Amino acid sequence: MPVSVDEKCLRLTGDDGTSGTLLGMRCTECGIVVFGPATFCQSCSSPALEEIELATGGVLYSYTIVRVPPPGWPGPVPYVLGEVELPEGPHVLAEVIECTHDALQVGMPMTLALQPVSMPDVPGSERVVYKWRPAM
Amino acid sequence: MTQFRPGRDVYVVGVGLHAFGRFPDQSLSDLARDAVVDALQDSGIPWTAIPVAYFGHVYYQGMSVGETTLAQLGLTGVPIINVENACSSGSTAFWQAYWGVTSGVFDVALAFGAEKVPGGPVTVTAEDSPARYIGGDHMMAGYALRMKRYMEETGATAAALAQVTVKARQNAAMNPYAHRKDTYSVEDVLNSRLIADPLTLYQCCPTSEGGAAAVLCAGDTLDAYGVDRSRAIRIAAAALTSGNYNGRGSDHSAFSPYRTEPAALQAYEMAGIGPEDVDLVQVHDAATIGELQQIEALHLFPYGEAWRATAEGRTALTGDVPVNTDGGLLAMGHPFGATGIRMVHETVTQLRGEAGPRQVENPRVGVAQCSGAGDVTTVHILTR
Repeated sequence: MPVSVDEKCLRLTGDDGTSGTLLGMRCTECGIVVFGPATFCQSCSSPALEEIELATGGVLYSYTIVRVPPPGWPGPVPYVLGEVELPEGPHVLAEVIECTHDALQVGMPMTLALQPVSMPDVPGSERVVYKWRPAM
Repeated sequence: MTQFRPGRDVYVVGVGLHAFGRFPDQSLSDLARDAVVDALQDSGIPWTAIPVAYFGHVYYQGMSVGETTLAQLGLTGVPIINVENACSSGSTAFWQAYWGVTSGVFDVALAFGAEKVPGGPVTVTAEDSPARYIGGDHMMAGYALRMKRYMEETGATAAALAQVTVKARQNAAMNPYAHRKDTYSVEDVLNSRLIADPLTLYQCCPTSEGGAAAVLCAGDTLDAYGVDRSRAIRIAAAALTSGNYNGRGSDHSAFSPYRTEPAALQAYEMAGIGPEDVDLVQVHDAATIGELQQIEALHLFPYGEAWRATAEGRTALTGDVPVNTDGGLLAMGHPFGATGIRMVHETVTQLRGEAGPRQVENPRVGVAQCSGAGDVTTVHILTR
């Protein structure tokens, strides 16, 4: 069975690792939404949070083409890193795939894409990772 | 929300530096010790009279490094506190020293910091973090994201951003402590290799090694410690903040300059001055974009205008708001534990009128700002 890179941020919905949803926490008192786990609201500190499924797309707030990767980066070099603003508010950083460098534009609509990633030479390290790709 | 009750006036009475750069033959303790000895000599206060010390550093070099460093100066038994607060570790040690003295607990305090760091891109998370799969934990990529967005929103030109490095190198060429002293043209900066578009290599600070130290003394005990009042520089404000939701949350671009604003407003209020009173500034220019956004967050320029001010030379040594007069992180390099105190060193040196060829004309008010992972921000205001 495929394993999510971070089960508190990405819930896999099928058993082939190609479908899933980003998770967030919404404050039932002030309405603020954050990406990933939270125990208290970042804005008002209320403990009254509920888990929600976040939208499967958003707009590209900013991007960069990373030419010198961080230590341990298992993917291609260069790679595109995109910061996507979701309609609920949170910004989610992830690799942008299936997009030529010339086509990148701040404000373009993006959609969630899932891909398996393994750490080189580490058996059993495959994880399903959330990424962004241009919306059709 | 924030409450501060400064007590006694506090002065910086001694500063010291170990040169910034790469020193394979010197340990962290060597770098720190040299800076401390320098600062103690500058203050005229002997080590045996120091009642407390705060040490900033980040990369693990064993436990209690502050203690093993100062043990070289003699085992006096004083409390020594090791501080890790990301890129603001040094400035946090300084902040603690200030509050230790102003509160009346200590008459004198030593703040010092040093770093030994590996080369290459800097990351924030632990090695087994899911972030390694995602590719977003990369300091300079974070700055590149901010830079792209800033250019998009403000129309800032690549040349204006490059000018931040050109200026930093010009200032550093007059600073014997700087890691990088070669000067560059705008073209040199833009033509250096891309790290994370649009950030080029020369727009990223080097990860460097070095040490810095400052001795603080209560105003009402300056004479008792034999301090030369003419060289004592008053700490008018010391602010330290962490992330503030501020309508933007922690999901926003990492190391957001929006975090600096609350610390800046706190510091201005504490000092009883405004941004219009500031004569020179040291800010956290880990990348060129960092300098522009920090001086805007300090309200020295309106939002979206710092790039133009830089292109017009207003932040140069001869401008109306000189910024990063010693070369900043871009040219000094960035030993995390030392950087914040290095900024204090430069501010004090300038306010004393002892900055030699890079002396700003007759400054009275200097600001030092540091920021780091965890949205740690410090703003210190020093006055003559």
